[in-house]
Parts: sequence; C-alpha cells; structure tokens
Amino acid sequence: MSSSTKSGTAVLRRAVVRNGRHLWTGTVLAGLYQICAALVPILIGVIVDRAVTTGDLAALILWISVLVAMYLVLAMSYRFGARHLQRAIAEEGHRLRVEVAGRILHPRGLRTDRQAGDLLTVSTTDADYSSYFLDHIPRVISALLAVAVSAVTLLLISAPLGLIVLIATPIVLVTLNLTAPLITRRVTEQQDQAGRATSLATDLVTGLRPLRGIGAQDAAADRYRVVSKRSLAATLRAARAQNAFQGASAMLSMLLAGGIAIVAGVFALSGRITIGEFITVIGSAQFLIEPFGTLAVVPRWVAAARAAANRVASVIVAGPILPDAAADPAGPQPGLHLAGVTNGPLKNLNLRVRPGEFVGVVTCRPADAEALMRLLAVPDAYEGDILLGGVQLATVDRGRARRLLHVEPHQTDLFTGSLLANIDVHGDGADRLGAAVRAAAADEVADLHPDGLDAPVAERGTNLSGGQRQRVALARALLAEPPLLVLHHPTTAVDAVTEHAIAGGIRSLRHAPGSGFGTVVITSSPALLSAADRVVLIDDGAVTAEGAHAELSATDDTYRRTVLR
Amino acid sequence: MTVQLLPVATPRATRAWLVAELTARKGSAAVTLVAGVLAAVASIAPAYALGLLVDRISNGGDAGAVIPVAVTIVVSAIVGGVATTFGGYLISRLGSRILADLRERTVATALHLPARVLDRAGRGDLLSRVSADIAAIDRAVSEVLPGMISALLLSVISLVAMLGIDWRLGLAGAAAVPLYVLGLRWYLPRAAPSYAAERVAIAERSQLFVESMQGLPTVHAYLQEDRHLDGIEGASGRARDISINVFSLYTRFVGRINRAELVGLGAVLVIGFMLVRHGSVSVGAVSAAALLFHRLFNPIAMLMVTFDQAQDAGASLARLVGVLGMDVERRDATTAPAGRELVLDDVTFGYDGAAPVLSGVSLRIAPGEVVALVGSTGAGKTTAASLAAGILRPDEGYALVGGVPVTDLPAAAIAIVSQETHVFSGPLAEDLRLARPGASNDEVATALDRVGALTWARELPDGLETAVGEGGVQLTAAQAQQLALARVVLLDPPVVVLDEATAEAGSAGARELEQAATAALAGRTALVVAHRLTQAATADRVIVMEHGKIIENGPHADLVTGGGRYAELWAAWSTRS
Repeated sequence: MSSSTKSGTAVLRRAVVRNGRHLWTGTVLAGLYQICAALVPILIGVIVDRAVTTGDLAALILWISVLVAMYLVLAMSYRFGARHLQRAIAEEGHRLRVEVAGRILHPRGLRTDRQAGDLLTVSTTDADYSSYFLDHIPRVISALLAVAVSAVTLLLISAPLGLIVLIATPIVLVTLNLTAPLITRRVTEQQDQAGRATSLATDLVTGLRPLRGIGAQDAAADRYRVVSKRSLAATLRAARAQNAFQGASAMLSMLLAGGIAIVAGVFALSGRITIGEFITVIGSAQFLIEPFGTLAVVPRWVAAARAAANRVASVIVAGPILPDAAADPAGPQPGLHLAGVTNGPLKNLNLRVRPGEFVGVVTCRPADAEALMRLLAVPDAYEGDILLGGVQLATVDRGRARRLLHVEPHQTDLFTGSLLANIDVHGDGADRLGAAVRAAAADEVADLHPDGLDAPVAERGTNLSGGQRQRVALARALLAEPPLLVLHHPTTAVDAVTEHAIAGGIRSLRHAPGSGFGTVVITSSPALLSAADRVVLIDDGAVTAEGAHAELSATDDTYRRTVLR
Repeated sequence: MTVQLLPVATPRATRAWLVAELTARKGSAAVTLVAGVLAAVASIAPAYALGLLVDRISNGGDAGAVIPVAVTIVVSAIVGGVATTFGGYLISRLGSRILADLRERTVATALHLPARVLDRAGRGDLLSRVSADIAAIDRAVSEVLPGMISALLLSVISLVAMLGIDWRLGLAGAAAVPLYVLGLRWYLPRAAPSYAAERVAIAERSQLFVESMQGLPTVHAYLQEDRHLDGIEGASGRARDISINVFSLYTRFVGRINRAELVGLGAVLVIGFMLVRHGSVSVGAVSAAALLFHRLFNPIAMLMVTFDQAQDAGASLARLVGVLGMDVERRDATTAPAGRELVLDDVTFGYDGAAPVLSGVSLRIAPGEVVALVGSTGAGKTTAASLAAGILRPDEGYALVGGVPVTDLPAAAIAIVSQETHVFSGPLAEDLRLARPGASNDEVATALDRVGALTWARELPDGLETAVGEGGVQLTAAQAQQLALARVVLLDPPVVVLDEATAEAGSAGARELEQAATAALAGRTALVVAHRLTQAATADRVIVMEHGKIIENGPHADLVTGGGRYAELWAAWSTRS
C-alpha cells in the first residue's frame, strides 16, 4: 500500500508540473481576485469615513472610482484566472483518463484485481478527483492571501482587535470542523442508500419482462418501497447532522463577528478608532470567515484527491500480464501444439493441430474449455509447452501471435456502429466479405434490415438477438482469415438448420482442398463435429479419446452422452 | 420501429402536482416557512443594531451605548442558530418526504406499465427516469434546495430591512435586482444546452470505455487496442473541450453577478452620501444598509449559480410527474379461475395497426397437458405465447383460462418465462422470493432443487445468500434460466407458458435446462414455444404455426409420419445427430 501511496503523490506532483503554465497563471489571478474581494469591506469603511461622514463630494467620486476600478480587476482576474485553472483541471482529468484506458487496453493485458465497474470508476471519478487537486492549490493560496490582507488591515486599525480576530476565528472554525467526520459519515451513508435505491430501480426495470412474466410487479414495487424508506431515513439522519452543524455554525459565527463588533464599538465609542474603521472591522471580520473556512476544509479535499490519485496510480503502475516478447514463428501457416499443459483444471493436456486441419474439441466440463480458451488468448502461468509454429506462444510478439492464432471468445462482443463495421474490423475485406458473411449465415441477419450490412448495431449489440450476434461475430472471425482460428461454442443460440449451414460454411471457406488454415472448434454440436476432420474428447483436463465424429459416437459412451441427445 | 418517448408533464401540471403535495402537508410547510423567516430575521438583526451603534458613535455616546447592541447580537445569535437548525432540517424533511413518495409511486407505475407502451418507448427512457432523474432531484433536494430557500428568505428580508431603514436606501439596493435577473436570463438559456452537450459527451465517453472494457478479449483478438484507445481519447477530448467552453460561459455569468454587486453597493453608498448630506438619514443608517448588502453577496451568488441545478431538477420532476400520469395495467383480481384449461379462441392480433401477426388462431390445452408450439422465425409463436400469458391483449377473440380472460386473472394464476433472462441483483434467495415474498428458506431450496439448481447454488461463496446479478457473482445464461424456472416453481401457477426458455444455453447446458423445464411444468397446463425439437418430441401434443396461422396440430409421432411441415423440420433436426 505504501508504494501506491507514494505513486499517488507522484501522480499529483506530476499533475502540478505538467500543467504548470495554466496552474500558476490561474493561481496568481485567483489570488488577485481574492485580494480584491478582501478589499471590498475595507473600501466600504473608507467611503463611509472619507465621504459619507464628511459630505466631501470629491472624496466620494475618488473612492467610488477606486471601488469601480477594483471591481473591474476583481471580475477580470476571476474570469481569466478561473479559465486557466479549469483548462488545467480538464486537461489533467483527460490525460489521466486516457492513461488509465491505455493501461487497461494494453495488448499484453493489465495485471489487476479490479472489476470492470471499478475500473470505470477509476477512469471517471478518480481521474476527476485527482485533477481537482489543481483547484485546491489556488484556493489555499487565495485564502491565505485574503487572510493576510484582512489581518494586516485589522492590525493597522487596532492591534488588540486584529489579534482577537486572528486568534478567535480559527479556533471557532476548527471547533466546528470537529463535527466533520460525523457529517461525512452520515452523508456517505445517505449517498450509499440513495445509490442502492437507484440501482434497485434500474435492476427492477431492466428485469421488467421476467417480472411481469411471473406477475411479481407488486412484490418488486414493495421491495423498492422498503429501500426507498431506508434511503429517506438516511437522508433525514444526514440532514439532522448537517443542520445542527449549520445552526451551530451560524450561531458561533454571529457571536464571533458580533463579539468583535462589540469590542470595536467600545473602541469607537472611546474614540480609539474612527467610524469608518469600525465599519471596516465589522465587514472584514465577517469576510474572514470564508477564507478561514476554506483553510479548515482543505485537508479533507486534499485527502480525497490523494485517495483518488492512489487508485489511479494503482492502475497506472500495474504491470502487464505477459512479458515483452519478440519471437516470430516461421512460415505463414503454423501448426499449434500443446504438450503436457497443466493449468487450473487442465492436467497434462496434449493437443496438436496441423496446418489445414479442422479439429473439433469436446469437453465434458465447461471449465476445461474455458481454461483452454484463456491459455490460448493469454498464455500465462501454465506448465508444459504451447507451441505456435514450433515457438513457445508466450515468447511470440503479441500482435504477431494474435494475427496467427485468433481466439474468438464465446461471449460475443459487438460494438456500437454498423454490421459492416463490426464484421470488417480492419476495413480491408470488401472482396471477401460476401463469402464470409454467407458462411456464417450472417446474410440472414443483414437481410432482416432494410439497410442490409449498414444496419446499425447498438451499444454492445443489444439490438440483435443472441443468435444474430453469434453469426455476426463468426462472420467477423472468418473474414479475418487467421491461419489458426479457435472458436468456442459458436452456434449455441442458432437454430438447427442454420447450424448445419454454418458447419458447411466453415468447412468450405477454410478447408477447401489444399488450404493450409487450421480451425479448432470447441463445441458439443453434432453438426459442427461431423464437419471436422478429427474430434478430440477432453475429460478431467486431459484428452481421453480421439477420432472422427461418427467413429466416436459409435464407440465412446462418454462422448455419446456429452454430444448426442 | 420509431421510438415514442414517455410523456413529460407540462409546467402547469408539474406545478399543480407540487402545490397539491405541499397542500397535503400544509402544517409542515407552514412551520418550515416560519422557522426559515425567523432564521433570516435573526441573521440580519445584528447588522441593523450595529447601524444604530454607528449613530451613537457619531453622536459621541458613552461606552454603555454598546450594551443594547450586545444584547441584540447575543439573542439573535441564539435564536438564529436554533432557527437555522430547525428551519434547515424541516426544509430537508419536507422535500425528502415528498421525493420519497414521488419515487415510490414512479417506480410502482413504471413496473405496471403495459408491455406495448414500453416496447414502443424503449426501456432506455424509463430507466433514465427511475435512475438519473430521481437521483437529480434527490441531489437538488438534499444539497441545493435548503441553501436556496434560506438564501432567498435572507435576500427578501434584508431588502425589507433596508427599506425599513430608509426607503430610498432600500430602493438603491434593489437596483441590483434587475441586474441579477438579467444575468440569469443571459446565462440560463445558454447554459442548458451546453450542460446537455457536456452530459452527452460524458455519456459517449463512458459508453466507449465500457464497451471496450467489456469487449476486451475481442479488442485484443482483433488487435483493435489502438483504435479503441483513439476512440476513447477522442470522446474524452470532446468532453474536455465542452467542459472548458461551458466553464467559460460560467465565468462570464459570474462577471455579471459581480456587476450587479457593484451597482447595488455603489448605489447604496452614493444615495446614502446624498441623503446624509441633506440630513435625511444618519451615517449609521447608511452603514447598516451597506453592511446588510455586503453580507448578501455570498448567499445571492450561491442562489444564482445553483439556479440551473434547480432548473434541471425541475425538468427531471416534469419527467417523473409525466410517468405518474400514465395508464397502468394491474392484475389484482382475487377471483381464481374455474378451471385450468388454457384456450385461445379465434384470436387476431397486429402490432400498432400493421397487418395482423396472428389471424384467427384457436387452440385448447387441457388441464395438465403440455403442448409444444413450433414454427420458423416470424410465424407468430412469441405473439401467441404473449397473448396466452396475458402480456398482450387480443385485438379480436379471447385468451381464457378456466373461462376467465387471462388479463383479468390474479397475477399468480399464470406465468410466462421467455428467452430474456434477468438475474435480480442481491442475494440469490431474494431473487426467487420476488415470485413469492415470504417464502421460507426450505421452500426456496426445494424450488431450486426441482430445477436442478440447488447443487451449484449451494456451492456459491455464501450459498443461497450469495449476492448475484449486477455487482455480484455473474451466473451463466443457463443458470439464469434455471432461476427463472425456479421462480415459476415457487410461484406455483396452474398454467405456464415457456417462450424459447431454453434457447440461450449452450448445447451442453440445453439438456439440463430441458430437464429443468420438464420438472417445472410437472402437473401444470403448459404452452411451450420450442426452439429445440427434442422439447417438442417430449410434449403431449405439437402445434405448428406458419405465417400467423396454425397449420398442424397433433402428437409428435403422428405429425412425423404425417409428412407435413413438422416432418420436414424434424428431419432437419434429426440430421444434427
């Protein structure tokens, strides 16, 4: 944890350095703004003293002009200072986000325990909160400047008054801030409960069809009502704490400002200070509460920024899963050879796919198939040899390995865009497109839409059915024409007739006589298995039988039980 | 299909709803207002008293003159502190209670919307209402509203006090009001579209990010890392640029607020100068007015910059009130049907006036009989199933169970399980209890056991109490469908419709799911839309549909030998193995 704390600090330090120009320009201007704001009550006192009390018109014109000029500086310094700071903050948030995304998308993988949702939070909320650190710096500096201006003024008017203000104000604010942890706890609890209610509402509405199917809408509404009531109770608890704080804060600051005003009044009555100075003291004492308040909460803000930066850093410094590798198997159409591979459920697995071969793989346990898929995609932490064209897969350059050995996940991932953009990923397959789409029976998907292959695909392909998604993903894999293609249950949501057509399609597209393409299909579909040259049965993590589909169905009981119905 | 968004309430309807809610809580609203006014009065009283003190000072009063002022300040501070505490709390309480009521009614309404309304509107709109809109109002009520109301009260009462000191000084201060209003009128119409654009850009950025992360294996497999990263960088850059532009608009708005401050303060001082010169007001009165006005800077600025959040919350409110006004479908009839026979009698149905999907379909399923419905895509099987289950209402003809229209049946009399699965987030046992709230642990376990899910469920980290679904353990499609069947077992309806309920599972899981379905259907009248013909083969009877009509009807064996459409389908299916 200490290393990530250190790197969190490093993330913040780097943010300051790389946004230096905007940050410091903005900070200087923000400081100027704050000085002007501190001068307002002082000027009110001066105007009362020099003009209102004396009736001197020239003095009025002079000092009102000063007020106007000062407001001009105030407005301009805020406007441009804040813009510089916002630019620095937005830019830093953006850079952190892209950096996090780059790590997650790194071709060699990201070694992290964080779930997808958690990573999204790191890239959004945490990147933002880290960048807010660039806002905290000018705030602290401005608050210190405002305090300094008011303090000097007060000390010049009357040393005892100035000292009272400067000592009493921080004490009152620090006292009030003692309640901060309680309020933070209550507010966090309130936000948690509100978040829970929101998630429940989202979840129930998402599952509305299944709910309606069993007539459970009332039960669902009741469930939401309970959570909503709980959220209400948490809100009221937080409101009690917050308002008690507000009330105490209002009372104490009124007593503080009032107490100072009373002492200043006594001084004024005894002639130690002028009326204008009396007004300046009242105004400044009132004004000072704000910058002191800022200084009191800053530690909490900085802690939040550092916590966020630690999480960002934990992603940025996490290494890739796979080592940097540069080996390149010779030959355009390598074979695949697994020898004595042990990993998770796989125990001493031997499997060979020669160039040109169409191999069906049947696994009795789903876990065996998943482990095999995982290893072929990310060859990490296994014993034995996985050889691609005779070279250890883990040592092959990642890009090269993926081009030679394409592992198409069972979970089909489509992306927002069109059918065409999803299928012709690299944008270079126009001439082979028709054949690939037909082989995967994805032409039927395109035919259902008036725009054909230009039909839109919604986020994650949710506007397509499971079977349609599978066919689109298969067309995409076929079009990529990888020398070695591994498919995992590619037709589970496809009807029998189409499945048959797809088996024939794969066969004719990739395994015409003389073709050197290798294909591995992990499946329990007889249609696909009977199209394969050879079928391998994996049970308990190792190969237990091998042969043609027809042969195995006739001779092997386990095979028959797993495949046939 | 064109998407028709759900209704949004008009400003008048929204206001009427709000007035009605406040009227219903008259007492509470009145007490809240009194506490708020008291807090505002207490907070300006000291400034007023100090103004009087200024006059005593100018008139050369003695030190004792400070005592009434001191008493005023101490009393105001105590009263103000107490009133702030209670006033603020009462505002939060009033707002949160109205909101809690609103969100519960909105969600209940959303859950009872007719299927076709939702199909037309899409789920996205409804989802954003029950999540984003409720959250927006919640934030406004707990963070913005109390501050706005107290700032508003403070501003009004300060202005009244300034008018009370001297009406001309009050008017001088009021000179700032039109400038504040102009500032708002300049900013709000510009801010709304900018913030909307910013939200869209951020949503787009998250969408690309989520898609890339969830599709990571595919992104890697196709060497698309750079392209996805470029996409994210582009979207993030756009969001950044928009947020910088929006902020620049905001700084100009703050400039307008500063301008209003300057004009108000300058007017009070200049008018005060003239009045003092003419001897019509005292220096103390001018000082008090100037101090009162200076004190208002922060509360008014806060009021101004949170105005757009309040406006946003208002827009969200209109969207929720819009949902409240929608017609709902409730199946809370208590009379049980006379029998368990499921009948479609000469049913015709079309979507939105288009050509009928079903025409003149009649079928009869005897109590306890399992009938399989087969046919190619687009034959109308799912529509027939939805009509039989009461999800859709026939345009013509009747869908009856025991002689009662299915849409008039109590909810527990009939269930439908479709291909669309959803695992409800939370403990697995609670997911099942949606079907029968209050079911005992034993009953839940028995239902799981019946569909063959108990073994894997017990093996989850916390057994049946394991959190599943969103944010919990992810179940496979087959496991999710087993849960759906287990819910039916727990509900125990006499009639069940399965619409391709076993289609999403892998071939290996399909057989287990079919066994689960058979177990779940035992003893019930059932209509099963069969994707896999093995399921049809085990049914008591098979009905074949084509182009919205029934073309064959009979036991599996008879149809196979009959040489019709079913025989063809069966032949294609059989060559699989």
